[in-house]
Amino acid sequence: MPGESPVPGSIIFKKKLRKRHKKDGLIFMHWLSKKKYKIGLMVPTLLVYSIFIILPVIIAVRYSFTKYSGIGQAKFTGLKNYARLFQDKIFWISFKNTMVMFVLAFVLLLTLSFAIALLLNNRLKAVDFSKALIFSPAIIAPIIVGIIWVYILDPNIGIINNVLDAIGAGGLKAKWIGGDKLSPYSIAIIYFWQQLGYLVTIFIAGLKMIPGDVLEAVKIDGASTVQEIRYVIIPMMRTTISTVAVLIITGVFKIFEIVQQTTGGGPNHLSETLVTYSYSMTFSSSDYGYGMSLATVTFLLSLLITAVYSTVTKEREG
Amino acid sequence: MVNKRKKAVQYILMALITILVVFPFVWMLVLSFKSNSEILSSPLSLPKTFNFDNYRHAMETLNFPRLYGNTIFVCVISLAAELVITFFSSFVLARMEFKNEKFRKLLYGFLIMGLSISPFILLFPVYKINVFFGLRGKLALIFPYIATSISFNTLLLVGYLKSLPTEIDEAAVIDGCNIWDLMIRVILPMTKPVIATVVIFNVLYIWNEFPFASVMLREASDYTLSMGASFFKGTYTVDYGGIVASSVMIIIPELIFYGIFQKNIVEGMTAGAVKG
Repeated sequence: MPGESPVPGSIIFKKKLRKRHKKDGLIFMHWLSKKKYKIGLMVPTLLVYSIFIILPVIIAVRYSFTKYSGIGQAKFTGLKNYARLFQDKIFWISFKNTMVMFVLAFVLLLTLSFAIALLLNNRLKAVDFSKALIFSPAIIAPIIVGIIWVYILDPNIGIINNVLDAIGAGGLKAKWIGGDKLSPYSIAIIYFWQQLGYLVTIFIAGLKMIPGDVLEAVKIDGASTVQEIRYVIIPMMRTTISTVAVLIITGVFKIFEIVQQTTGGGPNHLSETLVTYSYSMTFSSSDYGYGMSLATVTFLLSLLITAVYSTVTKEREG
Repeated sequence: MVNKRKKAVQYILMALITILVVFPFVWMLVLSFKSNSEILSSPLSLPKTFNFDNYRHAMETLNFPRLYGNTIFVCVISLAAELVITFFSSFVLARMEFKNEKFRKLLYGFLIMGLSISPFILLFPVYKINVFFGLRGKLALIFPYIATSISFNTLLLVGYLKSLPTEIDEAAVIDGCNIWDLMIRVILPMTKPVIATVVIFNVLYIWNEFPFASVMLREASDYTLSMGASFFKGTYTVDYGGIVASSVMIIIPELIFYGIFQKNIVEGMTAGAVKG
């Protein structure tokens, strides 16, 4: 009835209260939101974060403009490190290797993990068991992932070359790792193995968010599976697809342990990636200034690719 | 008919993919029972007997109790510290009143920014900072691990704490709660599910972390598990059997842990991606 005040505890009362909250904000919280509480509770996190995340980035960029061998003072050399980088053959090799791994991993992971997610989203017996097993490489240490694959790819003791020999296809034998050509491709495959289940799971989570009645309507309208995927599922999965894409981009720029274990960047730095090269310049050659300029460039490059990817996909969405 | 054939194809594909993914693990287990010379001379043969020499050798070379002890030590301290500080700061960002809303957003954005910062640019500077503070050995790992968890924890905790209704705070305040009671006795118990997610994600991260460990740890007595795995390779370049056995001994507990907490682990690892 109009004009009558609502009974406390009734639905109308609660609704009114909620409306008031929206208008006035957290009225009760106001009493507890004293400045000293807020500062006291925020400071530990802000301090650790600033000292161990933000400050190091600044320090790294500063070192990248210096020559520093760990002894004495770092000497400011301006852009010399960056000029050297452009003429450094090994830098370009690592750049090329990183890009090979990036393109291969990106294409393979994005398409196949999506396809496998579609497959495993069906009602099949033992599908949960299969999902669990496919996910398992993602939880073990990347350093162990590298070790495992040595026993598969090694030219001498690895299973691939030995199987090829055994079936009389010895001509196809190759130096999958440790040679001068194939290492980045092999490393991309190892990375694919490690990430597949993880990305499949994210895709399945995205598929589950598509309302069932939409898919039913598509079926009733007589769309083929291909049409369904092309015109309904992919457009509805835009956010998930970009999430996965960004995960792959940033992930490829963090591949480190796998390279260390399988090839160590060798022979002659031929299988080095940007990350391993910057690591080896910094910690093996003690060329800290140059190492930091490599780290800075690597970091900026991964940010750049992510940014390019986001703008391109945003534009396409209109 | 068509449907049946389609189902059959789906089953075959599923089985094939699963076998391909699992195969490297199985192969590892098989190899661990072969002697080093068997691995070198006939890589494809199955082990003739169950030979535990590799495991014995791995145990002699690596001090497993110590590796596990170090890893658990670093894990527990980092986790305890990061949970306390990020719970408090997320509580402020999610539930407290700010005069200036922009300032709240700025702080949140600042803390989330770390998600896009690669750990590799941090390694050397963090090493220098640790030296400056006199942090050495295992202790040198704790602050980097806490710091790298902050962005992820903030993302999940703030998101979850915002979703709890504000009536809770009101009821608590009316009942005479002060800020500590409200945070620890009222809100914290309700945050359990997301804390479980955060714990699992970070335990796995710390357990598997290698780049920071390889830079900060100099003494073998400080080594964590991932360092132990790489150490074996460094000293016995040709002892393939020993490397395999030690890797199996590091993986098995992880896989058992995964078997028990599979649902939580999968959720924990994908939570950031699905929500972010």
